[in-house]
Amino acid sequence: MDLLLHLRYFRTVAEEQHFGRAAERLRVAQPSLSQRIQRLERELGVRLLDRGRTGATLTPAGRLVLAETDALLDAADRLRTLVGRVQGGAAGTLRAAVPPQLGGATVAALLTAYRERSPGGELDLRELTTAELTAELAAGTLDAGIVRHPCPATGLGFGPQLHQPLGALLADQDPLAEHPEIDVADLDGRELVLFPRPTAPALHDETLTACARHGCTPSAVREVAGIEFTRALILSGTHVVALVPRSAPEPGTTWRPLRGNPLTWRTSTAWPAGRDGPAVRLFTEAAHDVLREHAGLLPTATQRRLFPRPASEFPL
Amino acid sequence: MNTPVRGRITAALTDAGLGGALCATDIDTGATVALAADTPVSTASVHKLCLVATLYREAAAGRLDPTTPVDIPAGARAPGPTGLAVMRDAARLSLRDLASLAVAVSDNAAADILWDRLGLDTVNATMNALGLTRTIAVHNQAGLYATMVADTGDSGPAALVDPAAVARLTVLDPARTNRSTPREITALLTAVWRDEVCAGAWGEELRTVLGVQAWSHRLASGFPFDDVRVSGKTGTLPTQRHEAGVVEYPDGGRYAVAVFTRAASTAATLPAADAAIGRAARIAVDALRNTRERA
Repeated sequence: MDLLLHLRYFRTVAEEQHFGRAAERLRVAQPSLSQRIQRLERELGVRLLDRGRTGATLTPAGRLVLAETDALLDAADRLRTLVGRVQGGAAGTLRAAVPPQLGGATVAALLTAYRERSPGGELDLRELTTAELTAELAAGTLDAGIVRHPCPATGLGFGPQLHQPLGALLADQDPLAEHPEIDVADLDGRELVLFPRPTAPALHDETLTACARHGCTPSAVREVAGIEFTRALILSGTHVVALVPRSAPEPGTTWRPLRGNPLTWRTSTAWPAGRDGPAVRLFTEAAHDVLREHAGLLPTATQRRLFPRPASEFPL
Repeated sequence: MNTPVRGRITAALTDAGLGGALCATDIDTGATVALAADTPVSTASVHKLCLVATLYREAAAGRLDPTTPVDIPAGARAPGPTGLAVMRDAARLSLRDLASLAVAVSDNAAADILWDRLGLDTVNATMNALGLTRTIAVHNQAGLYATMVADTGDSGPAALVDPAAVARLTVLDPARTNRSTPREITALLTAVWRDEVCAGAWGEELRTVLGVQAWSHRLASGFPFDDVRVSGKTGTLPTQRHEAGVVEYPDGGRYAVAVFTRAASTAATLPAADAAIGRAARIAVDALRNTRERA
C-alpha cells in the first residue's frame, strides 16, 4: 500500500468532512475513494471516520492520525524539495559557500569572476563556517567551497593553499597605531580579541600558538564573533587588540599589518573527493584569482623548517 | 549510562579539534563504553601490539625462542625518529629485547626485524585465532612509510603538513593500510590481561613488555596518579593520533582502552590533541568504575 497516497486521501476527506466533495477535489470516483479509506483503516487497525448521512466526521483515532499525517506529509514534501535541489546541482547551478570575514567586495568579485568564466552557469553562494561547510560537502548539499584550515579532511579534495594575513585592529590613540607595521611581540601581555573558539577550535588554538611562537603571550583572550562588538571592545579598553584580517576602515580604530605576516589563516577551495568536474574547477580557478587580487591573500607563507618530536613516531 | 558518557567523550575530542572513535572495556566484567567502536581505523604503530603479542604467543607455543639473538647490521634499517632507527652502529639484540624497544620508543627498525622474523601472515593468523577478524596488517613499518613517500612524491616532508597532500595519503585510509577497530584492539588487550593470548610466565612477561612505553603524553596523561599503572602503545600518522592500553587501579579494577583520533590540524606538534586522548579515556574509565561500584 502507498501509505503517503492513502494519507493524502484521508486528509482531504477529513478537511471536506464529506466523501463526495473530497472525491471531486481529488478527481477520483467516490467508491474508489471509500475503498481506499477502508484499506487505510484496515492497515492501521482503527476506524478513522464515522460515516453519517450528512457527511464524514473524525473519530478520536482519526484526529490522532490526522495530526501525525500532517507531519508525515510535510516531511515527505521537504524530502522531495531537498532531492530536487541535489538533482538541480547537476543541471547548471553550482552550490558553493564561503567562510565568514572574507569581505563583501571579495564575495561580489567571486560571483562576477565565476560568471565570466562560466557563461550561463549559475553560482548559488552562501556564507558558512568551515565546520558547516565541510558537513554540507560531505552530505552532498554543496558542490564546492572556500574553507579555512585546519578543517576535517576526510573525503575532501583541496585546491592550492592561500594565506590570509591577520593584522592588529587597534584604537586610534593606541601608541602602536603610529607605526605602519607592528611586531607580534609588541602585543605581548595585551588583551587579545579573537573569534569564538567553538566555531573553529583548531584554528583558534593554531592562531594563539603562532602568537606564542612569535613572542606574544596575551594576558587574556576575549572571544567575539562580530566586527561591531570587536570594535566596541577596542574603543572601550586601553589595552585591547583584535587579530583580524584587513577590514574596511572605520572611525576610531586602525588596522595595522604584522611585520613578516607571521599570523595567517590558510585558505583553499574544497570539494567532495573525486567530484571535481568542470564547474568545480572553474570555481576553484575563479576563487584562487579573486582571493589573491581582491582579498590580499598570499600564495605562500614563509617556509618553516620542521622539527617533529621523536614521539611523533613517523619519519620525515 | 552510555549516552551522556559518549557525549562527554565527543565533547572532549571536539574541544581539541579532533574527531575520533573509542572503546573501553572492564577486563573482568566485560562492561564496555563504545563510541564508533566498530569503525575501521588505520592502526599505524598501535599494530605493534599485535606484533609483540604474536611473538609471545609463538614463544608460549614453543615455536620460537624469544631469547634468540639477532645480528643487526648498521645499514638498511626501517626509518624512524627513535631507537635502532636512529642508531649508527651494528648491534646484537634478542627478539624479546627488540619487542621492548618497539614498545618503549615505538622503534620502527626493531619492529621490522620482528615483522620479518614472524611474517605478516603469522601475525594476521594469530589475530584471527583470537577472533579479531578485522585486525589485519598489510605492510611492515618500512612498507607503510614507503607509501607515504610515494603519495607525497617530490614535495618532500613539507607535504605532510599540507592539507591537500595529507588528504591524499593512502596510509590514512583503513581499507589500504594496517587496520583494526577500537573494539578489536581492546579485545586483544583484554585477552592479554586475561592470559588468553599466552598464560604463565610468558603472559606475565608480555604484560611487562607492554608496560615499558617511555612517553606519557596521551593515554597516561589522563591518569596522572602515582598508584595507577598505565600500559600503552601509541600510533601516529599525519593528523592521526592513537593510543591503546590498559589502566590498572590499586583496587583491582583494570580497563582496556583504545582511542583513535583524527585532527583537523595538520601540525605535527599538537599537545592539546595528545592530552584529549587521556581525557577521553578517563571519562570512559570513570564511567566503567562507577558501574562497577554500583554492581
